[in-house]
Amino acid sequence: MRVITKGKIALAAAATAAALVLTGCGGGSGSTGGGNSSATSGELNLIAYSGVWQDQYTAAVIEPFKAKYPDIKINFVSKRSSAEMLSALQGQKNSPATDVAIMDNSVSTTGNTQGLFDKIDATAVPNLANVPDKFKGKDGFGPVVMLDAVGLLYDTATFPKAPDSWNVLWDPAYAGKINVNAPPSLLGLSLTAITSKMEGEDYTKSIDKAVARLKEMAPGVQTFAPNPDEYQNVITGQTVLGLGQNARGQFYSDQSNKKMGVTFPKEGTVYQINTVNIVKDAPNKAAAQTFANYALSAEAQTAFAKALFYAPSVTNAELPADVKARVVPTDGSLNIVPLDVEFLSSARDKWTDIWKRQIITK
Amino acid sequence: MTVTKTQTPAVRRAGAAEGDLELASRRRNRRTYLVLLLPGLLGLLVSFVFPLAYMIRMSFNRGAPDGVIEETFTLDTYIQPLTDPYYWRVTLDTFQMGVTVGLLCVLVSYPVALFLARSTSKYRGLLMAIAIAPLLTSAVVRTYGWMVILGTNGLVNSSLKGMGLIDTPLKLTNNMTGVTIGLVEIFMPYAILAMISGFGRLSPQLEEAAGSLGASKLQVFTRVTIPLSLPGILTAFLLVFVLSISTFITPRLLGGGSVQVLATEVYDQTTGLLNWPFAAALSVILLILFGLIIAVYQRLTKKIGG
Repeated sequence: MRVITKGKIALAAAATAAALVLTGCGGGSGSTGGGNSSATSGELNLIAYSGVWQDQYTAAVIEPFKAKYPDIKINFVSKRSSAEMLSALQGQKNSPATDVAIMDNSVSTTGNTQGLFDKIDATAVPNLANVPDKFKGKDGFGPVVMLDAVGLLYDTATFPKAPDSWNVLWDPAYAGKINVNAPPSLLGLSLTAITSKMEGEDYTKSIDKAVARLKEMAPGVQTFAPNPDEYQNVITGQTVLGLGQNARGQFYSDQSNKKMGVTFPKEGTVYQINTVNIVKDAPNKAAAQTFANYALSAEAQTAFAKALFYAPSVTNAELPADVKARVVPTDGSLNIVPLDVEFLSSARDKWTDIWKRQIITK
Repeated sequence: MTVTKTQTPAVRRAGAAEGDLELASRRRNRRTYLVLLLPGLLGLLVSFVFPLAYMIRMSFNRGAPDGVIEETFTLDTYIQPLTDPYYWRVTLDTFQMGVTVGLLCVLVSYPVALFLARSTSKYRGLLMAIAIAPLLTSAVVRTYGWMVILGTNGLVNSSLKGMGLIDTPLKLTNNMTGVTIGLVEIFMPYAILAMISGFGRLSPQLEEAAGSLGASKLQVFTRVTIPLSLPGILTAFLLVFVLSISTFITPRLLGGGSVQVLATEVYDQTTGLLNWPFAAALSVILLILFGLIIAVYQRLTKKIGG
């Protein structure tokens, strides 16, 4: 009898554990509603990145916005990635609880095709006039609000001079001391495209050569999912080379007293572009337009460039020389590997699968 | 006779009244139990049954790229993982990880549980609290602790290097070794508690009796102590196994992307690739795996229980 009783206890424990897993899989996202906002008052629900991005954006953009529009209350819903934001917005499609989303353009393009976002009304968002055509959303959707690019992170003690080629990732001298974020992370997708280009391939047709080359690199990779993040891995000496975003890399370089550096290798890099998007049927559309307009102001973009080294998208933003030297150039001077967002949305699953099955080693 | 005749209905009435009272009281009790159970049942319905039903329904939809969910009724989401060797490997790795962590956890927790179960010290309560104290800290924090200890420049590698035992750091993290070490430590308190509660039949008198009949200490341990503590061992193993195959935080953080188990696969499909139907199907497969293991466990415990 006793044994069976204990069995029941274990069963209950197992059921609880299963419940935890399953409820964890349920997903879903919550956000506070609002409604009845005007252009200068009410509530505004913003969905954007978490962590240092949230901290810096809050200090550099949201706080000054609140000072300017004290009657608009901003609820910041943070997500680790644009994919998570898209997932949250898809869940709210029938009754949106979000007004503005700042996310990667490869994901916002998907949101546009899925009817999650509205076109931007240039009269309600006059600062759109300062966004050059190349950064304006296709078909009038959310424009580019900031730009960054994939950089090579390096330990400055190991590399007193920044490495100038991505080939350093294949150097046996650094085997076991490299962190690479595998797809679906944009960093891993970008590395695939960069390697493909280095191998003389057209990645839109085939990535066979890139895969063969990445397989050579894989045994030397310490982690394909760096924790707590790619920057801390290099800073703490767990690795000496890694993939990362230039903006955060610059920020953490300062934070770590230059223990880590970030550079753009000569073979080229991939832009990481964020757009500001107004959610279709947003409960607080007028306030959303006011915020989007402020996010596209020279004041907000300069402040955020100084805080987290994202390049502005508007032509009237003037950066101090020392900041300008550290944000990604947008004047054509940097070798850019073009990663077409529409192609990427179709290739993301396939490339992720290839990495998992063929490249990542145990 | 007359008396009896006149008394019998009265007794009967009294008896009937008593019976009615008992019945009414029983009904009242049953109603009280139901009312008391209701909040719990409602909670379970909302937090477990509804999400489970939603998830099972979701698993029959079709996931298009970029998170679009096509409402339909298809078995594709099940056919794909069941016909793909990659997912068989992931399932096998999940199972292997659960068994390894379960066995190691039982192995290291057994002496502690046995000591605590037998201890007559006045500090037993304190020792018990120390043994389960790690539960006061979140598994995420403890996993980060292991990342620091097992890292390239962590405590273990630095110590071994300092002693001149190694030149290049051992790879103790970002692989299955790190995940196993982390999970064993994280689930030890559960194993200890489960074992102590399952040691009910263990009695020092039986061991003494075996000793007085000439059994050596080893014989007493292998032929008396272990068989009598087997229910506790099995409960602990099952609990740790189930917790291990469903955990996602530690394989994710200590696995470094190289450890692919069903739980991490579900996470990737849900948050990275937004393929909820496929993630739901994988979760159902994981649930079936749970069910099978629990069925085997019940048969085993019945056998042991006689």
